[in-house]
Order: sequence, then structure tokens, then C-alpha cells
Amino acid sequence: MLKPILLVEDNPHDLELTLVALERSQLANEVVVLRDGAEALDYLNRRGAYAERVDGNPAVMLLDLKLPKVDGLEVLKAVRDSAELRSIPVVMLTSSREEPDLKRAYELGVNAYVVKPVAFRDFVAAIADLGVFWAVLNEPPPGSLRLERRTGRAGD
Amino acid sequence: MATVQEPAAPFDPIAQCADEPIQIPGSIQPHGFLFVVDEPRLTLVQVSRNVEQWLGIAAEALLGLPLGELVPDPEVGERLRQLTEGDPNPFHLRDLSLRLGTRQSETFALMGHRYAGRLIVEFERAGDPRQAYDDLYPLMRTFVTQLQDADGVACLCELAVREVKRMTGFGRVKAYRFDAEGNGLVLAEQADDGYPRYLGLSFPASDIPPQARRLYCDNLIRMIPDANYRPAALVPPSDPRTGAPLDLSFASLRSVSPVHLQYMRNMGTLASMSISIVIGGRLWGLISCHDAQPRQVSYQTRTACELLGRVLALQIEAKEARALDRRKLELRQQLVHLLAAMADCDSLVEGFKSVSDAVLSFARAGGAAIIAGAQCETAGEVPPIADILALTRWLGERPEQPLFHSDNLARDLPHLPQLAGHSAGVLCLSISRLHPHYLIWFRPERIKTVHWAGQPEKDLRSDGTLGPRHSFERWQETVRGHSLAWEPVELELALELRNAVLGIVLRKAEELAQLAGELKQTNKELEAFSYSVSHDLRAPLRHIAGYAQLLGELEGGKLSERGRRFLDNIGDAARFAGTLVDNLLSFSQMGRSALRLSDVNLEALVESIRQEMAPDLQGRHIDWRLQPMPIVVADAAFIHLALRNLLSNAVKYTRPREQAVIEIGAEERANEVIVYVRDNGVGFSMQYAGKLFGVFQRLHRMEEFEGTGIGLASVRRIVERHDGRVWAEGEPDRGATFYFALPRLNYSASA
Repeated sequence: MLKPILLVEDNPHDLELTLVALERSQLANEVVVLRDGAEALDYLNRRGAYAERVDGNPAVMLLDLKLPKVDGLEVLKAVRDSAELRSIPVVMLTSSREEPDLKRAYELGVNAYVVKPVAFRDFVAAIADLGVFWAVLNEPPPGSLRLERRTGRAGD
Repeated sequence: MATVQEPAAPFDPIAQCADEPIQIPGSIQPHGFLFVVDEPRLTLVQVSRNVEQWLGIAAEALLGLPLGELVPDPEVGERLRQLTEGDPNPFHLRDLSLRLGTRQSETFALMGHRYAGRLIVEFERAGDPRQAYDDLYPLMRTFVTQLQDADGVACLCELAVREVKRMTGFGRVKAYRFDAEGNGLVLAEQADDGYPRYLGLSFPASDIPPQARRLYCDNLIRMIPDANYRPAALVPPSDPRTGAPLDLSFASLRSVSPVHLQYMRNMGTLASMSISIVIGGRLWGLISCHDAQPRQVSYQTRTACELLGRVLALQIEAKEARALDRRKLELRQQLVHLLAAMADCDSLVEGFKSVSDAVLSFARAGGAAIIAGAQCETAGEVPPIADILALTRWLGERPEQPLFHSDNLARDLPHLPQLAGHSAGVLCLSISRLHPHYLIWFRPERIKTVHWAGQPEKDLRSDGTLGPRHSFERWQETVRGHSLAWEPVELELALELRNAVLGIVLRKAEELAQLAGELKQTNKELEAFSYSVSHDLRAPLRHIAGYAQLLGELEGGKLSERGRRFLDNIGDAARFAGTLVDNLLSFSQMGRSALRLSDVNLEALVESIRQEMAPDLQGRHIDWRLQPMPIVVADAAFIHLALRNLLSNAVKYTRPREQAVIEIGAEERANEVIVYVRDNGVGFSMQYAGKLFGVFQRLHRMEEFEGTGIGLASVRRIVERHDGRVWAEGEPDRGATFYFALPRLNYSASA
């Protein structure tokens, strides 16, 4: 089974449009939607509502910078501080190039960021590129699910 | 002109004259007699030898007698005991005659005073007591009334001189004032025929030795009725109890220096009287009376003269204080003017330049200079810059003193002869607590001619002892190397100016700091605003564009042609608004972010922009004419944006042309590089040239040429951030040329 794409987005319109974009990019990965930073951390750490989820890290996490409760930067920091989660590719989604927090995101080790384009066509293209790069093309670090599957040691 | 010779003696007889112990001459003038009495019984312990001429009793016979034997009235004794040293001037107790066994003496004025622990009783011939009321009082009253109306110190002195002459009958009465060196200038004079006149002449300071000057201050009136007098010695010569000589500082009969008596005889005068004019504890001047013949002035008249001297001193003081106040007010008005100008300007140096005339007149100077760091601005007549800088270097070695002044540079700064060769006087004011910054005024030499009443030197005899000068003939001296002296009030106001200037500097620094703080705050707020605009405005625009497109894709088939067009318009409008927001943001960013200067190869930059644009230019026929362009120092990202805006404008506005021609080039000048972009597009009318570079200024309808109206405003902002200029030339339908000029920058000049 492909590792899921994690989408952390609080705005319902952005969420819907992003999902449409991901759908159009024809990725086979499951998309797990989380609506705030706290929920995202629960998922990643298999806590609370996600205590029972299947083990394993997502293929990529698309993380909105501005999130309720725990914001994107805090989620990113928690991911990079954790030995188990550190290798997850994280792509920041932002509404604007003006984000003062972008610099901070890079300091914390974000893999890429995307300024959501206003034009929907461009938006679809950007999301598709991301998905293809991080979920398909990018060589995941050793020990990740796909690598195991390719070497025939995965037990699914 | 005479040269002044220093006396070439192994010791200085003039200084020795200053050492003569004139307060303890051991004798008195013989126009009266003197007792020293010992308390409590008022026993006579010292008696002047000449008592024998006055009373017919030998001095020795009186020693040991109680005063009460001669003056039986116990009230006199009581009043003598009550005298204190608080006012040591002789006090007239009463007129009386002494009891000499069975006979009575003539009437004497008895004056007593206590000084240096001794009670001294002096007797002189009594005057007519009625004179005081009949003559002196009315005269004084008239005099005081006139004094109030007099304008000017010389006029006051003239009145006083006339009055003293009338009261005393001296042949010549003159009033003079002392200058800072102690030379006396005659301001007023009244003289009978036959007397030499001295009005307007100066008497040298050495005529009155310092200890005599001190006595003049304490003892307001002195009289020598006959310069040929034979001094009457004291018996015994010194105090029998202590062996100390008697201090006669305040005794009205005190015998004077033989040098002074010789001086009087040399002047052709036998009688003299002087009234001190003391202001603020300082000997301001003297009213000096002389007569060719011996002349005695009664105690009453002397008292009236003393009173006159005091009234005169008060009036002069008031007049001088008023003049000083006026001068101070005038200076302060100029000071306020100066400060206002300096406070208005960005720098003190600018302020100095803007009011250089006021700076000069403030200090009545011929020239002025302000030195602040590397800047040196001058006004009026000043020495060469090198000499001014030599002066400031010297000032820098004495950092604790905010003010230096000299009215004779050759004398005070002999190590800077070049400076002294140009100016005679300077007033230097340090105007920074931290830096060697100065305001300096220069005064030119003022050649002064002094009319001396005779050669200023005293006569040095062959045996090395001092004789008073013999010559009172007019003698001119030309004094060189001096400027007009700096008045104390000028120095005081200069220091006030300094404090205010320091205050201005401090305030300017504070204002700058505050401004910087406010700017920082404003910038922060602007950043936050920009962020929220971009974030919060972009999101809904994105949603509109997204949903409009999805709607079109999903349900487009059900819509009419018109409905689909509307939907497209919604999407277009949202995307356009998004571009607008993005452009506005980058425009505001240009004003805030720091320039990162580096070498920018303009030719390579233009080429890369052209390649970036190439995909959008399919189907266009554009003749690119790229001229050679230099490498400039600029912010590469900003210049890229500016050129990109200009090139895309050129491409856009040549769209109607079958064959577009776009020329890009540069012209190198001494201080700047001018870059131009020329096209053969639709152009513009020069009447709108001023509007072209404004935000949201558009000269074309949207359906003709798309655009947000921010492109050229961005170009202007970018170029102005580089301290450059932008302009444009155009003609409708004949094309346009856009120019920008970049000054030649250094990497260090990053703003």
C-alpha cells in the first residue's frame, strides 16, 4: 500500500480546491486530511483519535503555515525534533510570498514551500508537481515503507 | 613713538616701591595730632611728637595719662570705647577743647577709630560747624538731583568734579577711571588758570603702587594739605606693650611716602586730596584734587566729599549696570536669532552658513569659523585654513576648557606666529562634548594710541633707588598687537551660546533616535499590514478563481454562451486582482528592503530578460537593437525588475506594430550611467509625462493594453532607491523612450 499524503489545512475552500488539485494529479496515494496542527501531531505520533492507526510515516506532508491551535511552524519543529518523524518530507503551503515565517520555516528544515497561486490552473499544476516529486519521484530515506517494498522485504 | 625699556637693574625698584610699608610710616602729617589710648582707662600710650606745637606740652609728659584728664566729659570716653573695628574709618565724635591744667585749648575736631587692636584718637583744627548746613547740604542736594539727570559716566564725573572743586576750592580737580591694567584715564577735569590740564590723558598704573590702591579702597578719602610738611614722629615709635609699629592705615593724619610727596612736588602741586570711587569692592577710579599752594580742607567738607564719592559710585554703578543690561539684552537677542537658525538647519555647519553675518556681529568680530570634523566653514576675514587648524589642534590639547580668548595672540600664543600675523584676537568656543568641534571668532588688530601724561616709567636714580617721574609732558604711545578686548559679558553669552548649541546637538540626536524608532515601528506595522493584505486578500481571490473555474468545467455545458462568458470574467477579474495584490506588495517591498549592491552586467541582464519573455512573444516581429552596455554597481534583483518592467512595456505598447523596434542602450557620464529603452509603439502625449511614473496611473484603456498601473511606479521607486532619476519622452503614435540614470555608487554606500 502506498504511503498516504498528509494534508494539513484549516480553510475549507483551500481544502476543497487542494483536494480537487490532488485528485487531478492522479496520484494513487491516500490523502489524509487534518484540520489543525494539534490534530496533525496526534496523527503523526499516533495519539488520541489516531492511536489505533496503521504504523508508518506519510509520503509527504503538505502543511499550511497558518493553522489554529498549533501552527505550521510548530508542527514542523516537532517533526524535525523527533527521531521517528524527522525524515518526513514537509512542503509548506502559504498564501503569500510575504510570509515573514518562511525564513524561519527554512531554518527549521522545510523541504519546499509553495505560494498558492490565485489562478486555479496554476494551483492544480503546482500541487500535481509536488505530489509527483515528493510522493513518487523523491527517493525516500532508507527504512521507509516503499524502499522495503521495492527490495521485497515489505510484508503487506 | 617711543620704545619701552625694561629697567635693567638687578632688582626691580618699582616692585620695591610696591613693598614700601606705607601703612606703618611711624609718623603723621603735622596738620593735627594723634594719641593711641589703652583700655580700659584710655591711658595715652603713644603720642605724636607735634602735640607740643598744638598744646604746648611735651609728648613724653602726656604718656601714661588717662584721656579723661584732657577730655573730662565721660561721654567722649564712653563713645570711644564703643567704637568697633567693623568700620575702621575715623569717626567724628565731636568738636571740643582740651583741658590743659587751668587753661583750655583751641577747639579741635576729635575723631576716633579702632584698627588692628588699637584705639586711635586724632585731633585737627575744627571747621565751622554751620558750614555743613549752610553750604554743604544745599550743594549736595543740587548735585544729587543733577546726577540723576546726567547721561553717561563722563557726564557724571564732570558734575562731581565741578562740585568738589566748588566745595573744597582746590585749583584743579579731575576724575579718572582705571582700566584693567590699572592705568588711569582722565574723564573729567576742572582747573583754574595756570594749571596744566590732563583731560583725556592716561596716568600709568605704576604711579599708584598696589598697596596704596588697596588703601584707597578701604579708606575713601585722603588729604595732604602741604607736600612740604615735616612728619611728626610717634613717641614712643612703637607700641610699648608689644614693640610693634602702629598701623595707621585708616588714620586721617597718616604720613605718606616721601616718593609720593616728591611726585606731588614734581607735578607742581603742594596740596592734594583724593576721593575713592569704589564699585563692588573694586577701585573704579578717583577724584583727585590738587592745589599749587598748601590747602587744608575741614573735616565737614571732607565728609561731604566722601558722601559725594559714594553717591557718585552708586550712580556710576547703576549707569554701568544699565549699559551692561542693554548690551546683554542685545547679545541675547542675537543669540536667540543664531540659535533659531542653527536649530532649523540639519547641521550646525549649515546653520552657521545661513546666518554667518549674525555670527560675526554677535561677537563684533571681523571673521568667524566653524570647525566640525572634516568640515571648516568660514565667514568674513579669517586666517588661512592651515592656521585655523593649527589653533584647533592646540585647543584640542586642553579639552577641559570650553572657552579660550585672547586680545593679543602674539603675547598669548607665541608658538602660533602665523596666526598672530593675521588676527590679533580670538574667541574660541568648544561646541561638542565629544569631538574637537569649535566656533571661533577673529578680531583684527586695533592700533591704539595712548596719550600718556608723561613717560610711564618712574625715575630710576643712579644709586638704584626710586624717584617719582619728573615729566608730566604729553607723550604718545602706539600700542600694537591688540584687538578690541573681549568683554566679560561677551564671554558669558558665548558660554550661553555653547550650552544652547550643545542642547541643540543633543536634541537633534534625540530627535533622530526617536525618528529612527518611529520609522522602525512604522516599518514593522507596514510589514504586518502587507502580510495580512497579501494573505487575507489573496485567499478569497484564489477561492473565487478556483470555484469559477471548477463551476465552468463541471456545469459549463448547462450555461448559455453568455453565462460562460460571465464565469470567465469572474475568473479573469479574480486573477487580475491577485496580480494587483502581488504587484502592490512587491512595490511596497521595494521601499523597505535594503539595497544589496553588487556589480550588475546590464547587457547580460537585458539578454536574460529577453529570453525569459521569448515564449510569450510567439507570433510577434520584434527587431531588438541591443547596444553595448556597461557594468554598474546596483541591486541586481531590483534592476532586473526595473528593466523587465520597461522591456515588457515596450513589448506591450508595440503590439499594434507589424514590425516592432525596441532599442536598449546606455550612455556613460562622469557621475552616472543613463539607461534608455526606446520603442516605436503607441507612445504618449508629453502632457501626461508627469503622470507616467505614479502608482495606478494608466494612459490607456484596459481593453487596449492590460496592466495594473504599478510597473513604472516600481521602476521609479527602484531607481530612486539608488539615488537616481527617471524620465520619459514620447509622442502619440510615434513611440516612447524611457530613461533612468544611476549614480556611480560604491558598495559601501548601501542605503
